[in-house]
Amino acid sequence: MTVENRYDVIVAGAGHNGLTAAAYLARAGMRVLVVEKNDWIGGAAVSRSLHEGWTYSNCSYVCSLLRREIARDLELPKYGLQVIPYEGGASFTRDADYFAYYSDHNALKREMARHSAKDADAYRGYSQAIMRQCRFIRPFLLRDAPDPASLHPRDLGELAYLVKKAHGQGSRELGETLKFWTMSIGDFLDEHFENDLIKAHLAGSGIIGTGLGVYSPGTAYVLLHHYMGDIDGGIGAWGFARGGMGAISNAIAASFKDHGGTIHTGAGVEKILSKDGRVEGVALEDGKVFYAPVVASNMDIKRTVLHHIDAAELPDDFTKAVRNFKIRGSSAKLNIALDRFPNFPAAPEHTSFLRGDLHVSQSLFELEKAYDDWKVGRWSEKPYIDMLIPSQIDPTMAPTGAHMMTVFVQYAPYDLEVDGVRSAENWNEKQRTAMAETVLDQMSVACPDIRERVVHMEVRSPLEIEREVGLTEGNIFQGELTFDQLFFNRPVPGWSQYSLPIKGLYLCGSSAHPGGGVMGAPGANAARAILRNETRHGRMKGYAA
Amino acid sequence: MSIFTDPKLGLIPGPFHKKLEEQNRAQNWYDWAGYSAPGVLDSVEFEYFALRNQASLFDISPMHKYRLTGPNTTAMLNRLMTRDVRKIGVGRVGYAIWCDEEGMVIDDGTLFHLGDNDWRLCCQEQMLTWLLDAAWGFDVSVVDETHCVAGLSLQGPTSYAVLEAAGLDVSKLKPFDLSQIHHDLMISRTGFTGDLGYELWCDWDKAEALWDRLWTGGAHQGLRAIGYEAVNLARIEAGFLTAGVDFQPVHATERLHRGQTPFELGLGRLVDFNKGHFNGRRELLSKRETPRSLLMRFDVEGFKPSEGSLIYNRRRKEVGHITSGIWSPTAKRNIALAHVRMPDASRSSGLKAEIYTLQEGKWDTRMARLTPVNKAFFAPPRARATPPART
Amino acid sequence: MSQFDAIVIGGGVNGLIAGTLLGRRGKNVCIIEKSTRFGGMASYSVDGGPTLAHSLYNLSPRALSDIGIDPQHPVLSGKPVSTVSLSEDGRHIVFKNDGVYWSDGTKHPESSAWSDLTQRLITYGSLLRQLAEAPAPGGQKTVLSRGGLNEFLRLAKLGIGLKKLGKSEMRRFLQVVLSNVHDIILDDLPEGPVAGLLAADAIWGSATGPRSPGTVFNLIYRLGHGGIITQPAGGMSALTDLMVEAAQKAGCVLMPKTEASRILLDNDTVSGVETTDGRTITAPIVLSNLAPKITSQMTGPSVFDIETIRRVRNIRACGTAAKVNLRLKDNSPLPGLPEQLANERLIFAPSVEYVEAAFNPAKYRQMSKAPVIEAFKVQTADGASWLSTIVQYAPSDLEGGWTESAKEKLAQTTVETLSRSLPGLGDHISGKQVITQDQIESATGAPGGHWHHAEMALDQLLTLRPANGMARYSMGPKGLFQCGAATHPGGDVMGLAGRNAALAALEAQP
Repeated sequence: MTVENRYDVIVAGAGHNGLTAAAYLARAGMRVLVVEKNDWIGGAAVSRSLHEGWTYSNCSYVCSLLRREIARDLELPKYGLQVIPYEGGASFTRDADYFAYYSDHNALKREMARHSAKDADAYRGYSQAIMRQCRFIRPFLLRDAPDPASLHPRDLGELAYLVKKAHGQGSRELGETLKFWTMSIGDFLDEHFENDLIKAHLAGSGIIGTGLGVYSPGTAYVLLHHYMGDIDGGIGAWGFARGGMGAISNAIAASFKDHGGTIHTGAGVEKILSKDGRVEGVALEDGKVFYAPVVASNMDIKRTVLHHIDAAELPDDFTKAVRNFKIRGSSAKLNIALDRFPNFPAAPEHTSFLRGDLHVSQSLFELEKAYDDWKVGRWSEKPYIDMLIPSQIDPTMAPTGAHMMTVFVQYAPYDLEVDGVRSAENWNEKQRTAMAETVLDQMSVACPDIRERVVHMEVRSPLEIEREVGLTEGNIFQGELTFDQLFFNRPVPGWSQYSLPIKGLYLCGSSAHPGGGVMGAPGANAARAILRNETRHGRMKGYAA
Repeated sequence: MSIFTDPKLGLIPGPFHKKLEEQNRAQNWYDWAGYSAPGVLDSVEFEYFALRNQASLFDISPMHKYRLTGPNTTAMLNRLMTRDVRKIGVGRVGYAIWCDEEGMVIDDGTLFHLGDNDWRLCCQEQMLTWLLDAAWGFDVSVVDETHCVAGLSLQGPTSYAVLEAAGLDVSKLKPFDLSQIHHDLMISRTGFTGDLGYELWCDWDKAEALWDRLWTGGAHQGLRAIGYEAVNLARIEAGFLTAGVDFQPVHATERLHRGQTPFELGLGRLVDFNKGHFNGRRELLSKRETPRSLLMRFDVEGFKPSEGSLIYNRRRKEVGHITSGIWSPTAKRNIALAHVRMPDASRSSGLKAEIYTLQEGKWDTRMARLTPVNKAFFAPPRARATPPART
Repeated sequence: MSQFDAIVIGGGVNGLIAGTLLGRRGKNVCIIEKSTRFGGMASYSVDGGPTLAHSLYNLSPRALSDIGIDPQHPVLSGKPVSTVSLSEDGRHIVFKNDGVYWSDGTKHPESSAWSDLTQRLITYGSLLRQLAEAPAPGGQKTVLSRGGLNEFLRLAKLGIGLKKLGKSEMRRFLQVVLSNVHDIILDDLPEGPVAGLLAADAIWGSATGPRSPGTVFNLIYRLGHGGIITQPAGGMSALTDLMVEAAQKAGCVLMPKTEASRILLDNDTVSGVETTDGRTITAPIVLSNLAPKITSQMTGPSVFDIETIRRVRNIRACGTAAKVNLRLKDNSPLPGLPEQLANERLIFAPSVEYVEAAFNPAKYRQMSKAPVIEAFKVQTADGASWLSTIVQYAPSDLEGGWTESAKEKLAQTTVETLSRSLPGLGDHISGKQVITQDQIESATGAPGGHWHHAEMALDQLLTLRPANGMARYSMGPKGLFQCGAATHPGGDVMGLAGRNAALAALEAQP
């Protein structure tokens, strides 16, 4: 052992959460090393140039959830991060009409009234209900989830905080909260609205990234998970990071390095070393070994536990619980370089809503059927697509006059069914192309000339997302966002507070509470746990503390 | 990508927009339910004194208007409203409030009893979903007339003379009476100013003709078009509440405990516990004696308007805030509406408002004594005389 | 002076239990029932055919003893039946209390995994039973009130029960109750008929599929009383007769052929019931065994708050289980089924995915092309043999409605599906009865023909059952209570909703 290969903390994986944890720890004065298997950093928050002149946010593509506390603590603007909110969006119909979602509430109300006067009036009640839930949940994102089975003062304290917040709502509203958290987004929308297109437009956020359908209980929460972020206090607003999502990772990395941190790329963790129930360091794929008394894994819980740790080092019931952790690939992604702006014949001239998220789903039934296809191992015949053209707002993404389009596709299975056999190995060039054709057909509802506009297209099935980013099964949240895997159940009961059964080993990625999205909260929370458990003074500084 | 702006964004013109635009010097438009409405057309003083001294025209078309008809309408409204609407006769208008299940006020508004089981509700907040919910199980049709019925408020001591000159006979109209002049013009003796005044209701597309008729008629009565700022001064003098300012409509509330009961707003007289069940009745029965705060009227020491000030009791403990506060040009008093928490509201002595002032670049604060006032700050007898005076 | 202390509207199982309990506590009770026969859905039959319910698995001994019926009564001490998962290759699987066997008597390889899983769920079930045997938590204004204190103690007891599980089981419980049955089963068992049976038992009567979160709760609920399935001696009507007898013994006045048209009120207080034939029966307490929406129609909406009515309207109740009774030519054995299994509970649910796929069409208002089926061979009073089957999914809101041809199609699908395991079944059938949700609804008032009057989904359970703010059985005006399956803890022939409601009424008006 030399000084060169010894650190206070090693973070395995340079995703945005790993970098966040590392940056907090470095600021606390610890000697921190981040190791990354790819030659680049960022995990699923990356900007990649795969075609000369264009930049793709080729995994995550929009930003809202990143906690303001973290951006402020880590001084991300100083390190180059700029987040620009985008406006509105639209769902196009198959008969050349559309429903536009304006951020201007008068315009939105008039547009809703064009489809249904009742729905235009009902929208306020709906958004109030969602906002009340956001208000309720947001304080918990940067706190630990209490272990209900523990009598530790801190758990009791967190539990008391939860009870206080819940009780403070009043019994009627608490009931509404319980109902909201356990119902499906489909049922929730049916209670408020009558128009199919409006419901389909609003439902999308309830299924993005998850192996559930719009009528599966719990999807109202998934919607909330997409709404609870903010941009500069505008709750539920989404935006682009200038320069693509990689700008977020790069800013966090720059903040980290500026405080003495080291990043080692190009070689992933082969094995997390431990002895007598205590972590010792990591051995990399390139043969290098680094030592530290604390290792924080930004990999998902399955990858961390089942691939990089000796099973003998862990209790069997823990390993079993991890094996049963649900982390299902359900999304695919198309990243497209366009020669110029595609034609949206239905959209009025000079409209602003094309700068937002665009969809073509017609009804909740259509979305539910898309889920049925996925259940049996096929990509959806009519997938839900979330497409955006960030180059309208961010001039760094494409050459002048040309554009970059990001298309998120729900649902696409990890274990694709071909000729009766379900396997990830079935994803090959032919299947990917066939899926892309399905998606392009779907996109043509909005922009019929899309095929002629394509200069270059990257098609990513869940398998590619798994292989490149390392997300098991290509699940974008590092684990399903269902009740049985949230809060004190995330990732597995009894281990919701970032530490794992090997002393000194921590989880700092989205498999941990509060879950996925480019939020940074698991990373910050893990850093707080590490500082509390592993150092003598213990307390993290900053707004996220 | 375009540098053009989206034509669908922004405010849209109301039925009187062309007429208002002709009178507009100040270019001071504001957003009233999506319509561009004038804050000021000329100058606030000029408009305010037209209202109190002559006659004024104010466009109230952006108000939400709902038509309720069908055999069960009166029963349905009686379950919705806290007062007994059966006591509002045909041809009468009633001020009413309605509450949610917890007894928190949803909104206030005026109920026009147009005919047997034929009502119009006019209010500030959007209410379609709520009315449809309220009508479930009743044989009632609910039609949103917000965008097809135009409204014009004619207020001031010469308003009767203006109507007379315009050939409209309302000599028999007592306060809160309404009269269907012809099939597309209804006039009610109502208003939001505490003064003599009328509200005129017509079809959206007849709005400009109505305006012209009054404008010509009012040429010798000092008729002025006015904006909201002048109206706001007048309504505070009259002690009227504005939704979202003096009380928080509970349906527009994210923090539900911010809602208020009628008793907390001093509107207990509008709650009738003896008429059978109405929405929120069971909760209100238990909340009647235990208001958490009271809406109060104050005479404020000094001359500085006190809007937005915090209120402190004798022990310098913060116990409330001023919701509306102006210097009243007519009453010549510094007046305010305020929420004061219990028990300080019932003691109500020794309260002071902390007023921030900005003078030539320097912020300062002063403590102004608050004296409770029981009645409206301004309630002229001319508002009630029938037939009304012409000047 | 009122004629009665309390009136119960609807003489189904919950209504009988509620009325009898009140009667035994000294109340002068009248139970009215619109049909000629008491027992509601449990003993409903058409033209002397098999009853709608055909087995017991969840009847609460607590509810029985509270109305003076010995849980060991001869009618109830029928032999537990085993469950047989029908297989297309003739290797049926038999589920007994002590394990899983092939039909030839040899042990099934998944037997111990199945036993472990069901035992764990039964343990959880006994915990949840504590919740089921009392009003749902929440709704008490203050902890300091007597009711509040009792509730606190009850929750504390549940907490202790949880603690007794041990830390890791307690954590596991809090995870599992919120989970979906597809995942929980397939974590421990391979896909196939053993897993398929558990999936089927999690969805009976519900508009939900195994992948839907919350379905584990349904399975635990079903296993709340140990999971033993019996058939009452003399059939379901013998059980309901027993309850009628108990009601009479408790002094209840039973009025069949009496349909309530209106619930009468005076000054926000219940005063009685008006019947369709113009009679007025007076009482200061009315317990309605009807679904909340129908109850609210009987008082008129004006006595409820607007939000209450909105919540009542939003209660989801889409029944999905149709009853198909196949009349057999004679009592000869069913083809493809060994003689000794003839009287067991037969299930067609070859896999979890099969159950999920059966659910898919129901989401779009279609019936399953390959349904999940539960069948019992029964004999009716006239000596005829029937195959009494529950067929799922047959949604109440079927597109185009339940026309004769739709019913015929369902019957045909049922026979075809069963024939996959019982080849030649069609030749044994001499007649068919198809009872769909619309019929069940018009006969029993259950909305959407739903077994539980309201879907058993997480957002309609416990404190949220039947709707937010209504979990304590009282509803609107003073003296009005709900006692039907839509209330906590729910339906099945269980009886706890009725019992709890009666206790709530006693607490409010002793």
